[in-house]
Amino acid sequence: MPVPSNGLTFSSDGKMATLQVSNAAIIDQPRWPAMDAESTPAFLDFRLVFTATDEPVKYEDPMRQYRFEGVKATAQLEATVRVPSIDFAFKTDPLETSKSDFGVMGTEVNGRYYGS
Amino acid sequence: MASNYVSRMGLDRRRWLKLCVSSGLAASLPGALVGAQSSPRACSPPIPQNREPSNGGLCPYPIPWLDKNGNHNQAAMPNVELSSIYHFKGKLARCSGFHGMGTDDKGNRLAWGTPTTDYSYMAGEYWAARQPRQGIFAHT
Repeated sequence: MPVPSNGLTFSSDGKMATLQVSNAAIIDQPRWPAMDAESTPAFLDFRLVFTATDEPVKYEDPMRQYRFEGVKATAQLEATVRVPSIDFAFKTDPLETSKSDFGVMGTEVNGRYYGS
Repeated sequence: MASNYVSRMGLDRRRWLKLCVSSGLAASLPGALVGAQSSPRACSPPIPQNREPSNGGLCPYPIPWLDKNGNHNQAAMPNVELSSIYHFKGKLARCSGFHGMGTDDKGNRLAWGTPTTDYSYMAGEYWAARQPRQGIFAHT
């Protein structure tokens, strides 16, 4: 989804990135991936914070023409989701209480930019 | 890399995170799918007027070997394409496998997160309509 320019911010040292999106239009599709899975409109607010570590990573595949260079990162998330049609809402605990198993941040080139 | 969350009372891969899985899709759902009047996506190729050239739309290219939404079939992990946009260069971060707790509007405490709860940002240059473009995108 497109993000407004103020939706992604970086700390002055570039080691922390915050992605914040409000009222994103999403869908609730409980039976996915069934082809006939019904869906209903829902809305999502979230704040996601990446914090860089000092451990470098590089993922590259010349055949598929992509190269990612960066560092491993921690990621934490807080979010609120609303499904008006079923009168359901859910709010996560504060950001600091979440954790993720995998995270990286860096730069990517792929496709026509791969050789540059 | 489908996102899935709340894991209890049927709020697992279903509720929340089919939710998120489809956020990009829903955000771009044209009226054609929800009403009688269709309206093209803002980035769809415009119909040229007055013999203007037609060079395609502003939508970013999907990753060729993934589905159009860039999700469902490849979780974030080392040594895979982490971008959801092809012909892209710029900043990118990606994460998956969240664990956390939360509360629904009835006061129920619920766990959320699965190995495929997956988020990313891509900020930089992408190629569309035969020109470089600048943009910031998120995948949820």
